[in-house]
Amino acid sequence: MSKLAELRNARWAPWMPAIIAVVAVALFPLFRPPLDATMSDVIQALAYVVMALGLNIVVGFAGLLDLGYVAFYAFGALAAGWFASDHFSKVNGGEGVHIGVSDFVQTAFPQGIHVSFLLIVIGAILVTALAGAVIGLPTLRLRGDYIAIVTLAFGEIISRFAANGDSVIIKGYALSNGRESISPIDQLNLPLVGEFDSATNLRFYFWTALALVLVVLFVNFRVRDSRLGRAWIALREDEVAAASMGVPLVRTKLTAYAIGATFGGIAGAFLGVYNNSVNANQFQFGISIFLLSMVILGGLGSIWGVVIGATLLSFVNTFLIPDVLDKGSFNDLLSNVGLDFTFGEVKFGVFGFILVLMMVLRPQGLLPERRRTAELTQGVGGDEAIVETRA
Amino acid sequence: MAMLEVSDIHTFYGNIEALKGVSLEVEEGEIVTLIGSNGAGKSTTLRSISGLSPPREGSIRFEGNEIGETPPQAIVQLGISQSPEGRKCFQRMTVRENLELGAYLRRDTSQIRDDLARVYDLFPRLEERERQKAGTMSGGEQQMLAIGRALMAQPRLLLLDEPSMGIAPVLVERIYETIEEINRQGTTILLVEQNANFALGVSKRGYVLETGRVALSDDSSALRDNPDVQKAYLGG
Amino acid sequence: MWDFISKYGLIALLVAFPLTYAIIDVAGGEGLSRIGNNLVAGLSNGAIWALIALGYTLVYGIIELINFAHGEVFMIGSFTAFALYSVLGLTLVTGPLGLVLGLLVVLVLSMLVSGSLNVMIERVAYRPLRGAPKLAPLITAVGVSFILQNVGILWFGSSQKGIPDLIRAQQELFNIGGVEVSRADVLAVVVTIPLVYLLTAFVNRSRLGKAMRATAQDPEAARLMGINVDTTISVTFLLGGLLAGAAGLIYALYQTNVWYFQGFTAGLIAFTAAVMGGIGNLRGAVLGGLIIGIIQQISDNRIGNEWTPAVVFAYLVLIMVFRPQGLIGEETREAG
Repeated sequence: MSKLAELRNARWAPWMPAIIAVVAVALFPLFRPPLDATMSDVIQALAYVVMALGLNIVVGFAGLLDLGYVAFYAFGALAAGWFASDHFSKVNGGEGVHIGVSDFVQTAFPQGIHVSFLLIVIGAILVTALAGAVIGLPTLRLRGDYIAIVTLAFGEIISRFAANGDSVIIKGYALSNGRESISPIDQLNLPLVGEFDSATNLRFYFWTALALVLVVLFVNFRVRDSRLGRAWIALREDEVAAASMGVPLVRTKLTAYAIGATFGGIAGAFLGVYNNSVNANQFQFGISIFLLSMVILGGLGSIWGVVIGATLLSFVNTFLIPDVLDKGSFNDLLSNVGLDFTFGEVKFGVFGFILVLMMVLRPQGLLPERRRTAELTQGVGGDEAIVETRA
Repeated sequence: MAMLEVSDIHTFYGNIEALKGVSLEVEEGEIVTLIGSNGAGKSTTLRSISGLSPPREGSIRFEGNEIGETPPQAIVQLGISQSPEGRKCFQRMTVRENLELGAYLRRDTSQIRDDLARVYDLFPRLEERERQKAGTMSGGEQQMLAIGRALMAQPRLLLLDEPSMGIAPVLVERIYETIEEINRQGTTILLVEQNANFALGVSKRGYVLETGRVALSDDSSALRDNPDVQKAYLGG
Repeated sequence: MWDFISKYGLIALLVAFPLTYAIIDVAGGEGLSRIGNNLVAGLSNGAIWALIALGYTLVYGIIELINFAHGEVFMIGSFTAFALYSVLGLTLVTGPLGLVLGLLVVLVLSMLVSGSLNVMIERVAYRPLRGAPKLAPLITAVGVSFILQNVGILWFGSSQKGIPDLIRAQQELFNIGGVEVSRADVLAVVVTIPLVYLLTAFVNRSRLGKAMRATAQDPEAARLMGINVDTTISVTFLLGGLLAGAAGLIYALYQTNVWYFQGFTAGLIAFTAAVMGGIGNLRGAVLGGLIIGIIQQISDNRIGNEWTPAVVFAYLVLIMVFRPQGLIGEETREAG
């Protein structure tokens, strides 16, 4: 056999394109200046990839339409806001709590709770997993459309608490700063690597984000091919049949919510630190829809599809719209035709349009999961048993 | 030319071929029956005729007109109505409302009133329960209601899907007597049944359906005497 | 047994809310006038929610789908109404006769615009997905909702837009023992009651109404009656949209401002109302709307309107978990 054919047949061959892509992305920052707008865009995209993959577990794998996903992002960000800033300024008699943070933070921010990023992520994971299970609990006996509404309602409730958090005082501390930010947030500080400084060098943030994405991808692939993953597919296709085959419905659903939620929490914590501020205006329903369009565009349940969908839409959001479509010349062109708007203004309409277009024309997404194609185009499976045995 | 001519129809549910080339005919004035076991394609055949599951291939002609691609509401307009599998009475509506819905397409109010009286004549039980919600009635009563409702459309061809299903034998006899009376009064009937005894007793000709194909086609009396038919469908 | 507990539990939970504040008022020597005002304002708000809730319940009853874009249909109704003010030359100085006639025209036109919009949404976003798994039209609905919100942004901008107080909405019309009844309150009642009556009469007595009820109970059986189910569904969306358009005008006159985002919150609140009353049930939608209106008003007045959505949605979650069929609820579709 020729060398090329041998390579092609190797067991890790299907992974080659992905491995090459990951290596390319990892090397990318070395070719850019340390403070670079494009790198910033990519970091943002990587964070969105993490969240979209989380939503994909709930909506794509398990088939539970969660419209309140932004709540988990909020929890993660608030975790950063609470435990990496001066927010709880009176703790420990004004001495603050400092665990695993750099000397700079210890001296510059003597008050408040300041905890190492890794601990924050762990905390965010625990909180969001619990939150996911709690939010999922009421939906257990509900039909698909009702699940959407209940999760949406929860998302809004949590979002309200965050937005009005400045007036919710428990033991002398406000829940949040409401519509103003909790800021500044400590820079990322990793053991052995030291503290980053986003004001001078984005590269370490970039690689951290990439590392998070890789961890999340790993978890996704393991979980998808596990018994749990198969249980989710059974659940998605026909809940009744799944139950009769012995799939523990409650546990399976709650696990989907919990695991999916943790990704939102991780991304939220990361972005809170990266953006150096946590602010209730970030937790809008629009984010849930934005994430949903990423999953739909990429392909419900398709891991690589969602990665692509998330990357594409994130770039549309941070690059295509502000830097291309709304830039001088193109904008002038539009006004000359009498269309007086900026694409930034119609952003969410465009995402909504993507949702409609995809569901009507190509519901399986750009890079479909194989099973999903059969389900959506041939009408096999789905919620109604279309194939009944008729006499 | 027969009143109904079904020629070599292939009907699919998604990718599953339920009817694999079914042909049958019904002459005006006849009662013809379609028997076969569960899953043979009997209901599918009626659904195809009524337009609920149109065939992908083949043709269905009613009184000379091709109706294979006609939408269900138009087929009712042309004169075919059905008492469907599972009866499908409107549970939250009264007997009278159900019957009036049968006459949905008709505008001739006095004739509708006469037909209502006729249905009550055929099924006195329904008149007793005129204001009762269909969902509160027994299976047998709902079956009568379903047939009566189909009659309210003034059909020239009446399709009956398993009128005996889940009904006590005494009541089934009564229903079948009424079916004969309906036919005597001038309505052509295509009757689908799993209970071959009653079906072959009341019909003139019959078709035996097996896994989506017509396996046998003969006069009902001949079918009744057929040892294979006896073994498979008549408990003999 | 659970049916009994959940029903009266829900009623208790609902009554407890205003009752608590009534007791607080009386104990504080304030008397019942404040809670009375809350109730009156709540009922007129509730009229708006009832009209929108009817739209949700009609559509859900017939195709078992939550028309996620319905809130935006209401918003477009408000926007249309406001746009028509200037087209018709209705200003603060228009005389009473001109105003009444003008507003009547605005009402009809806003209703028609919203009605047609709802029909269009069904054709474009839901009908192509009839056979698809339930997730699909729900996602499309969300997409349409966002598209419409953006239309709103492009139309009147992204901030709340104050509009002329054509009927002097807050002016007191009469007073019952310390409880104010404003012009807006009367308007809400005067528009809503006839519309609800007409709708109920249509659904219960007209031929199309029978077709709607039949289709809601069993679409295949309906087809076998000769009913054109597609047309019936379109008519249902039309009716829902007409009512949402009317709600839009009342809202515009009452609130004296319009906002592209008003449909999102209103939609969820009205949906809560529909579910509370019992989805698929017309009386339930009206009842739910009025109840939610009262709860919303009391929350606005006592807790603060930034918390009201959280309060209403908390009720929504409770209902969905413990009594999804709502107060009067009945199953929307039976098996066979």
